[in-house]
Amino acid sequence: MTSTLRGVVERHDVIVCAGSGGVGKTTTAAAIALWGAQRGRRAAVLTIDPARRLADSLGLPLAGGSEVVVPAALLRENGIVLRGSLSAMMLDQKGAWDSLVERHAPSAEVRDRILRNRFYQHLSQSFAGSQEYMAIEELARLRDSGRYDLIVVDTPPSRHALEFLEAPQRIADFLDRRIVRWFVKPYVAAGWSALRLLNRTAGFVLRALEEAAGVGVLAEISDFFAGMQGLFDGMNERMERVYRVLKSQKTAFVLVSSPEEEVLEEAEYLSDEMRALGMPLRAVVFNRVHEEFTEPVDDDDVPRGAIGGGEWRRVQAALERAGIAPADLARRLARNFAAYQDVARGDGLRLEMFSRGLPRQVPIARVPNFAGDLHQLSALARMHPYLFGGA
Amino acid sequence: MKRRTEDAATEPASPLERRLVFLAGKGGVGKSTVATALALVAVRRRKRVLLLGLDSDDRGRDVAGLRPAPGAEPVEVLPGLFRQNVEGRAALEEYLRLVVPVRRVLQAVFDSRVYQYFVAAAPGLKELMAIGKIWYEVDRGRWDLVIVDSPATGHALQYLRMPKAAYETFTTGLVHREAKRVWDLLRDPASTAVSVVTVAEELPVNETVAICREIREQLALPPGCLFVNRVHAPDLSAAELGPAAARPRGGRPADEALCRAALAAAEEEIAWGALNESYGRRLAAETGWRLVKLPFLFREEFGFGDVEALSRLIEPVVAPAAKPRPGREEPQR
Repeated sequence: MTSTLRGVVERHDVIVCAGSGGVGKTTTAAAIALWGAQRGRRAAVLTIDPARRLADSLGLPLAGGSEVVVPAALLRENGIVLRGSLSAMMLDQKGAWDSLVERHAPSAEVRDRILRNRFYQHLSQSFAGSQEYMAIEELARLRDSGRYDLIVVDTPPSRHALEFLEAPQRIADFLDRRIVRWFVKPYVAAGWSALRLLNRTAGFVLRALEEAAGVGVLAEISDFFAGMQGLFDGMNERMERVYRVLKSQKTAFVLVSSPEEEVLEEAEYLSDEMRALGMPLRAVVFNRVHEEFTEPVDDDDVPRGAIGGGEWRRVQAALERAGIAPADLARRLARNFAAYQDVARGDGLRLEMFSRGLPRQVPIARVPNFAGDLHQLSALARMHPYLFGGA
Repeated sequence: MKRRTEDAATEPASPLERRLVFLAGKGGVGKSTVATALALVAVRRRKRVLLLGLDSDDRGRDVAGLRPAPGAEPVEVLPGLFRQNVEGRAALEEYLRLVVPVRRVLQAVFDSRVYQYFVAAAPGLKELMAIGKIWYEVDRGRWDLVIVDSPATGHALQYLRMPKAAYETFTTGLVHREAKRVWDLLRDPASTAVSVVTVAEELPVNETVAICREIREQLALPPGCLFVNRVHAPDLSAAELGPAAARPRGGRPADEALCRAALAAAEEEIAWGALNESYGRRLAAETGWRLVKLPFLFREEFGFGDVEALSRLIEPVVAPAAKPRPGREEPQR
């Protein structure tokens, strides 16, 4: 049996779209969820930072945070009929850590103490991984709610896509009790030089840090960790839960990529690493693919792939034979066509090379390089034939 | 490319007259290509150029056909053009080697769990060290121009934010002093230009407008140019296609099939051209920055020759005043 993306979506409850930024991940995730909803699934798409118009077309408010059901009126306007339902949720990009603190702080005082801490404020802006962590925690929450039988997750545009999977572990490491203990002892706030006697190396490092940072900042850091202590308690449990969802048989990772060389290099790395992590790719979607024209140009049966930048004169002759006039228009059309063929041949070769490195059962969908932005509901549906084949 | 005629006074100086050109921008828009093209323009003007890649990991990509530079030392990839990768963790170790001369102590520090923890977790530490390394390279006087190519993904503003954040967070001590030195360099318009690279499509444009605003308003850094990459400029118009599509049929099937494909490609190109044009206008209107447009190149494989060609196209715009001096051979690959 040949595997298809259609089959992968049908057999799984959670689809995680992974890949570098700027390859149409958000759009692909929305298109998959819409397709599921059209076929009777109770579908939700969890997205990070959609284009304004995609958010509008899903009826998402600009401030993130809660799930919304895509309004029936919007669907009707676009001529879309759902047998199931479609919800969308946008993670609030900036407030990911704030929501983490709000959700898990044991009391209002602790919450405010953390949110006001200057060290925390810098940390929450610059510490990578918080969005990734929140996306995974939200996924686990949506899954446990039982309200959906298809959840499609759009992963954040990380430095590299694997960060999505590593983030929970990294946050857990950051909040590791054994290390954090160092920072919350009362004498730490007074000055870390007191620690010098405990361990020569640690003492040296801390003394250097103190010299580098100034005592006031260390007090603030210490205060931050003291406040965060209450948040660590449920951490391991939550971590286990999210990894259980990610490793579940009902969760499928779909790689989204484009045919550019840099993006494919990243994709190849991701694919290998995920296999090693025990979360192998189930399908690949290539967006923005230029497809090659493969029919023969003239009667003398020109082999596939023979039309290139240098071949435009032959194309011009064929266009003129077919009645395109004047000759100048035929020439410009032919040159443009040949230029697109060059790009298409490059795309085709790179995708073929990439695909050879994948296990044979991983299906590949190729979506053309639509001119224009695919941010309307009706436009998302234009991707469906390429993702899932004919009706 | 359209350029407004402006007073010499309001026209920003050529980015190549600075000591540091920092390229920010969303991932996947061709920052490395633009960085390399700029470097080639400078090299043709007999400048000694360091192209610094800010990479979070050192899997060393081939940038625009130029080989990666592994290790901490700059590698001369073309006569006058050096490449080096900067990674925060390595920069921190390099720095500590300078301040802690005893190797045994240093090794113990590197091995200690508190150190590992701090490097991994301290917010912004790696970014701060990386940008400190950039300052060091600019300050040591070895280069006429340092061009910083930010990571393949991520918009690189986190690096530009760090010196200011560190300088404000740490009100005394070493970090405060070091951060202030870096911040002073970045803010000095005679030394630095922060340029942005984008493509003229919806999402990158939205992000670029926000990036330009942050650079100019929140960070108050000296802006350079806004490079708009992969611009489609069709020499076909929709008005011409109507009559072509309505031509009498009946030719050979092979010719007809080709005709349909050629018309579809023309429509695609016209649509991309219109899209790029309208987002280009939005960029100009909403940022007020000087746009430098680079054409989309139709290539089976993008190589060094293409970067060279782009560098010649942008040369009159990014370095209008200076003239190349004769007597030096063009760089060869």
